[in-house]
Amino acid sequence: MSNHRLTLRDHVGTLIDTSHVTINFTFDGKTYQGRKGDTLASALLANGVKLMARSFKYHRPRGVFTAGSEEPSALVTLRSGGRREPNVRSTEIEIYEGLEAISQNRFPSLAFDAMAVNQLPGKAFAAGFYYKTFMGPKAPGHAATKFWEFCEGFIRRAAGLGKAPLEADPDDYARMHAFCDVLVVGSGAAGLAAARRAASAGARVILCDERATAGGSLTGIADLLGGEPGHVWASDALAELAAMDNVTILTRTTVQSMFDDGTYLAIERVADHKLRPAPGEPRQRAWQIVAKSAVIATGALERPMVFAGNDRPGVMLADAARRYAVEFGVMPGRAVTVFTNNDTGWLAARDMARAGVIVNGIIDVREDVSDAIRAAGEETRAAIHLHSAVTGTHGWNALTGVNIGSFDERTGEVGPSNRRLPCDCLAVSGGWSPAFHLTSQQGGKPLWDAELQAFLPGEPSEHSNTHWHGAGAMAGQFGLRAAFRSGEEAAVKALADAGLGEGETNRPDIEGDEPDHAPAPVFEIRSGGKAFVDLQHDVTADDVRLAEREGFRSVEHLKRYTTLGMATDQGKTSNITGLAIMAQTRDMAIPDVGTTRFRPPYTPTAIGAVAGEAYGHLVPVRRTPMQDWHEAKGARCFPNGPWMRPESYNAQGESVEQAYIREAKAVRSSVGIVDVSTLGKIDIQGPDATEFINRIYSNAFAKLPVGKARYGLMLREDGILFDDGTTWRLDDHRYLMTTTTAGAGLVMEHLEYHRDVVWPDLNVAITSVTDEWAGVAVAGPKSRDLLAVCVEDCDVSDAGLPFMGVRDGIISGIPVKVARLSFSGEMAFEVYCGFTHGQAIWDALLEAGEPFSVTPYGLEALGTLRIEKGHVAGPELDGRTTPADLGLAGMVSDKKNFVGKVLGQRPAFAESDRLQLVAIQSLDGQRIRGGSHLVKGGRDEPGRSEGHTTSTCFSPELNRYVSLALLEGGQARHGERLYAANPIRGTHVAVEVTSPHMVDPDGGRMRG
Amino acid sequence: MAEKKKPAPKIAATKRKAPVRKTKPQVIAPDPVSPIGDAAMPRAASGNAGITLSERLPGSFVQVQAWPDTVAKTQAAIDKHAGEGVTTMPVGPGRWQIESDAPGLEEALRKALKPEVAAVTGLTHARVVITASGPKVDWVLASGIALDFAMMDEGAVALTSHHGIPITLHRLPDQGEARTYDLYVTSSYARDFWDWLIRAGEEVGLAVA
Repeated sequence: MSNHRLTLRDHVGTLIDTSHVTINFTFDGKTYQGRKGDTLASALLANGVKLMARSFKYHRPRGVFTAGSEEPSALVTLRSGGRREPNVRSTEIEIYEGLEAISQNRFPSLAFDAMAVNQLPGKAFAAGFYYKTFMGPKAPGHAATKFWEFCEGFIRRAAGLGKAPLEADPDDYARMHAFCDVLVVGSGAAGLAAARRAASAGARVILCDERATAGGSLTGIADLLGGEPGHVWASDALAELAAMDNVTILTRTTVQSMFDDGTYLAIERVADHKLRPAPGEPRQRAWQIVAKSAVIATGALERPMVFAGNDRPGVMLADAARRYAVEFGVMPGRAVTVFTNNDTGWLAARDMARAGVIVNGIIDVREDVSDAIRAAGEETRAAIHLHSAVTGTHGWNALTGVNIGSFDERTGEVGPSNRRLPCDCLAVSGGWSPAFHLTSQQGGKPLWDAELQAFLPGEPSEHSNTHWHGAGAMAGQFGLRAAFRSGEEAAVKALADAGLGEGETNRPDIEGDEPDHAPAPVFEIRSGGKAFVDLQHDVTADDVRLAEREGFRSVEHLKRYTTLGMATDQGKTSNITGLAIMAQTRDMAIPDVGTTRFRPPYTPTAIGAVAGEAYGHLVPVRRTPMQDWHEAKGARCFPNGPWMRPESYNAQGESVEQAYIREAKAVRSSVGIVDVSTLGKIDIQGPDATEFINRIYSNAFAKLPVGKARYGLMLREDGILFDDGTTWRLDDHRYLMTTTTAGAGLVMEHLEYHRDVVWPDLNVAITSVTDEWAGVAVAGPKSRDLLAVCVEDCDVSDAGLPFMGVRDGIISGIPVKVARLSFSGEMAFEVYCGFTHGQAIWDALLEAGEPFSVTPYGLEALGTLRIEKGHVAGPELDGRTTPADLGLAGMVSDKKNFVGKVLGQRPAFAESDRLQLVAIQSLDGQRIRGGSHLVKGGRDEPGRSEGHTTSTCFSPELNRYVSLALLEGGQARHGERLYAANPIRGTHVAVEVTSPHMVDPDGGRMRG
Repeated sequence: MAEKKKPAPKIAATKRKAPVRKTKPQVIAPDPVSPIGDAAMPRAASGNAGITLSERLPGSFVQVQAWPDTVAKTQAAIDKHAGEGVTTMPVGPGRWQIESDAPGLEEALRKALKPEVAAVTGLTHARVVITASGPKVDWVLASGIALDFAMMDEGAVALTSHHGIPITLHRLPDQGEARTYDLYVTSSYARDFWDWLIRAGEEVGLAVA
């Protein structure tokens, strides 16, 4: 292991903690030491590790290419077990004691990768290889060609990125909602200037930066600000901002997305730089920020140049090499050669040399440079090669040298490569592309700047109502002075958006370079050999030309045919170069070929961060006051709407089926109780309440007496059944409506819509009181006897409380409402009390029921009882059935008007072959499975489906399996024999069609 | 029918006597049981508490809805019931939610407001009130509720939601330096919401008073 750490001093290692504490971490199982402030990439470079990854397709050795979130190559898998995270950019992750990282896409090891043979066939694996080789007519009985199906497994194993963990992530992810006047994205010179200006006007400012240390390029510049080094000035300016009440600074926070209405999504990496999050601390936090205006100061991304062998470990962007030297105090190589088409490459060389790095050559494609730049080059003592280019590289797992040839920037012609320069790092600069990804997400059309050879963000889209202003390099304002100026200007505009004053200017004196960022328009050096445009997806310049030859000329086709610009980096370092090569091939100007547009997010975002607390159960759970009791009794609960409800109360060793049969028998023979607190309950009041309810339900409600309940049907506007339930008239102008458990929310919306939009003239108040009342249904022949024991102040005899009557009473000192309603078909009552007394009432009913062996029953038994009785529920109200289909035509008034009346009279609803409600009963003792279809034929030739089952159970009363079903013309087919076929489960049961009212069809039991 | 003359849902409170009974000796209604249950047992934070929670069940909680032409009249009637221990929160056009420490508010308002004037709906059992206070209370609440808490003045009321759970939020006077809110949450969701608060509060230290 060699030590590539420079001597840390004032201007060297500006991000590295000076405490000399070393941090131990492992890469591919080997332990290394780094320093606090290092990224994984800088720490590996400090240890002389150049080879960090294998490429996606060809398995070529790759090293670190950038120093930021745009990294295409040096992706690693971090951590292990449930915390394993693939495809992490080593340039972004800060090292911590105990960090474990492993390389990806290699076998058996990174240094010797058997799959590297992939690069030998050369052009065979070029763009379109998979389409050409494997596409074709599907083989009969197959999803693709047989050859593809044979090869797919091998190919998927050979190509790819890291593997996702299968274990659950043990960490938490949090959310945060924030509001501000001015959001500043990026804390470099422009962002800091904007934040200071906006803060001085009293605006609420949020300043976000994706790096751990704010300051952007200021953390490593050679210039002096206010007489101080950039990183010192930035640190002071940030401290000053942080001390202000109206400023929030978020580091390690990437603003990923810009949405409508000034809404932004930012991901804060709260604990990614720690071994594990502290107790209570989330790993990441998703910030939803709503800003009146924003200053986007996201800087620019340096572009590479394309030449043969430009992907060897050791080839990296010039500014990245400079940052490793200056900010991390790490030699990017023992001998660094710079290859550039613009001034910033020279300044990078100078800054590296000043930090103590040996720069042995500067190669520039341009014929000449300014005196100031030439002086900067001379300061490095490097050999200067103008009018030249790198034509090839040497080395295998690491760069060992480059070939240099003459180059004519006007014609693009390359001369003979007559010089070879040994080096282990080649720092390349091909110009700068403003990072306007966020504003592009809002639809602004980028504009080409021929001088800068770059797209600029352009104007905000007229379709967007998100206010933003670009500043600094992101807006093409390169150089420190322009950054400060444009940052303040953008802040003033943003302040105006927020209705605030201009604030005060506060720019430091700047001593230093004013480099020209405009590059020579050179993107590629054509000299033969694999020259990569997209390092992450192994797309070469030849692939781009191949795509053009084969007709994939539009940038969108180019992207999809070659995969250029796809995957985790989304082409941050390759899009413009690919576009330029396509433009050159087509002999067109770059902006005429196309432009780059971006979608959210800016960098890969963990699903966990987006989900936040919404995992495990994905929605909040509503609990009845008796839910604790149900769970304590071991009831198996399952979701019903937003509630959890008991399925059955299984005794020791009892199956669900045995339990519900026992519970249902107990109800039919004596008495049972079931928690019905989950039913939707809606308080409807007002002088027009009766009229309102009468218009909502299809059956008559106008003459319902006070103290009585009525079963009602609600239709949709189109005449289809929507929901059902009972409504109780409590007073002249006051009703309590009940709905199905799952339909409660929708019914509430339905009622509010009709009150607010359709009949705004009606004075009706509609309030959900689902949580005001707990409810218990008491059902069975002994239900009246049970209530007689415990209810006071209420005569529960048939005369005192007739069928569908509603009365007030007292149980154990608790006021209750007792309604005589039956879902089971037995004599039954519903007892309602205040929600917080639910358990007390449940206990009181259990106690009072002891002499009758009262049995609590769950949803399965509840379902069984109502199926036997032929009472419809959710499965029958499936959004396609009408009242007539379910045998409820008598509940549709022909006298009054109501919602759904007109469209309910469509002739098609009266056709005799509609699916109609019937029951089917198993004839051979076999179970009828849910989802079965009703057919005439036997197993071999079943024929077409004439209907289907909706609710199935074993009927204890009939001692056989039964089901409600919807059957074509079913109401006229009672007595017919059919089969209930379920080919998926392999059942084919002989059944007889009967009336759905299988138990007590004349209703004598419940009225008795 | 007899039904008509009786006041409808009665509020059962600890000391409230049940009406005349026919068959049994007088039974005192049991205390209402908090839907949050044992989860709301007092506990201290491991360090300094960034947020402190407490829960209460309202003595009365009533929603009043006036009609378009009776808003002023309804307001006047509500004003007569204002006073110590009564919180009146305007929650919409001609709509108020009123909490009282004492039981019986629903009956009193129903007597004062005929159906032609306003609808009175009892929600005493339907709400649990969670008081949240502390130096980090805004941080914890903002992690689940999309409200600009900094812009909420004392006494301000917001109808909002957390993860689909409806919440009425009322800013109280600060307790010392600490911001304080009453959160009115529907009873069936109270346990889930409380559990979320406990989880979200862990990061800043959470105590239950």
